[in-house]
Amino acid sequence: MKTVGKDIIRPDAYDKIIGKAIYPDDIEIEGMLYAGVKRTTIPYGRVLSINSEEIKKVPGVVAVIDYKMIPGAISHGVIFKDIPTLVKDVFKRVGDCLLLVVAKDKASLKIALDNVKVEYEEYKGVFTVEDALKEDAPILGDGSNILYDIKVKKGDIEKGFEEAAFIAENFYHTQMTEHVFLQPECAVSTIDDDGKINVYVATQYPHYDREEVAKCLDMNEEDIRIINTTIGGAFGGREDINPQCHAALATYITKRPVKVLYSREESVISHSKRHPMKLYYKTGVKDDGKLCALKVRIYGDTGAYASWGMNVLRKSAVHATGPYEIPNVDVRAQAIYTNNPYSGAMRGFGAAQVPLAHEAQMDILAEKLAMHPLQFRYLNAFKVGSVTATLQELKSSVGIKECMEKLAQIDNIQLDKDVRE
Amino acid sequence: MIKVTMTVNGKLYTREIPPMMRLLDFIRDELKLKGTKEGCGEGECGACTVIIDGDIYNSCMVLATSCEGKRITTIEGISGAELHPIQEAFLEVNAVQCGYCTPGMILSAKALLDKNINATEKEMKEAISGNLCRCTGYQKIIEAVKLAQKKLKKR
Repeated sequence: MKTVGKDIIRPDAYDKIIGKAIYPDDIEIEGMLYAGVKRTTIPYGRVLSINSEEIKKVPGVVAVIDYKMIPGAISHGVIFKDIPTLVKDVFKRVGDCLLLVVAKDKASLKIALDNVKVEYEEYKGVFTVEDALKEDAPILGDGSNILYDIKVKKGDIEKGFEEAAFIAENFYHTQMTEHVFLQPECAVSTIDDDGKINVYVATQYPHYDREEVAKCLDMNEEDIRIINTTIGGAFGGREDINPQCHAALATYITKRPVKVLYSREESVISHSKRHPMKLYYKTGVKDDGKLCALKVRIYGDTGAYASWGMNVLRKSAVHATGPYEIPNVDVRAQAIYTNNPYSGAMRGFGAAQVPLAHEAQMDILAEKLAMHPLQFRYLNAFKVGSVTATLQELKSSVGIKECMEKLAQIDNIQLDKDVRE
Repeated sequence: MIKVTMTVNGKLYTREIPPMMRLLDFIRDELKLKGTKEGCGEGECGACTVIIDGDIYNSCMVLATSCEGKRITTIEGISGAELHPIQEAFLEVNAVQCGYCTPGMILSAKALLDKNINATEKEMKEAISGNLCRCTGYQKIIEAVKLAQKKLKKR
């Protein structure tokens, strides 16, 4: 017990305060090349042509790489491998990667990428979950625009609402959110004499990265090494592949060390987002202040690719009741494809959107009951022995009531007296 | 190419550089001082903060050639064998998370406390208002600046 219960200085902090912590962009290697990708500028369509031959002639350009030059898998993804590493023909969002250019320095790379010209056939995309669910909507997923559909049911929802003295029924929307971790994506790859590839990257999933790079290069995982550098923030935004495969591919083809560095703009365009959600909530409460029924429908805009969409919407469904005991629950949550930026992991992972709805419902119902909102929450909050909507019995460590007691002390609210005002 | 001479962390440097080179690139690429970070490249985030003749600047918004004859301080230049009290304070109150904003935060705090050792909390907040921390560690950072102030006053 050298550290438990004590203030300790985190081991990585020292290098960070003296400016010696190494993030990927701080790595420089003799003879290193710079690579970058041309990305789609329209959300949905097909590539007709790219002026790759012209780009090869730009001074300083070392290699121009398209999907045909990828030795292995041409797409990646944490669960479903649906995100193109380089687009074959159809693309589904702004920011999909079309062409990987490798140059001798940053300046030549910029000129080359600025000169890439793409001819598109543009398709009519869908940009709201409502449009994506229409019968004539283009199908973006595997036979459907519904990536994931989960139901959580407990008790008898009809009976529950019959018992209700008050009902609150409302629609809530949450917005797309960007991580804006402060260190833009960067990866540096090198090749050993025996052909093994090393990728230095700030990542949340070195093991997933190794698998994806190995698949992309059609190499054994043992021959790929992912070296995690210091990570300049992540918040879920570094769970999917971003520069890893491109850097490794450029090194594989040129046999040289390569750096891929994103600008802030490219960082924002490329990586996942927090799911924007539309939430329908109908909550019933009995005359005595006890919650009796909850019906929820959640529509998560999962964007163009799957990423963690299933897992995020599952978490929303599981957390839909909030930390409250409700005997009758009917929840359904769907992750729906659109041509928006793809949604994935971000701090809270689907549990961050639902509180807007369940807590607003609690305030509305407290007002209808003429109860103090904290008393109303306290009356319904989980405790040891509570059974959640997914029928999990909470056997230990349920601290919510204790938190509320502390809050009540601060504001001098009597929680255990007759709670009606 | 243009010849430029400036003092960085007490050392005089002369280099022939392209006229449009940013001070940030001069520091990182020419001098190989990697503690100054690029977060946005457009003067919003403050990760590239350096001190020029006592005032803080976003080095991504400054042309290196405009620093002729000036004295620049980067994160590598504020401590010798021992840590600067501001660095100590950042360690002690755990004001460091991902670390990417940290060099800029420390330099903004230093520029403030060098000018006004009696700075108020409000002045501290203003001093770091150009430095973004996305790990949301502002409270600890302000605590660190306050602790550093105490340490510096004792000296």
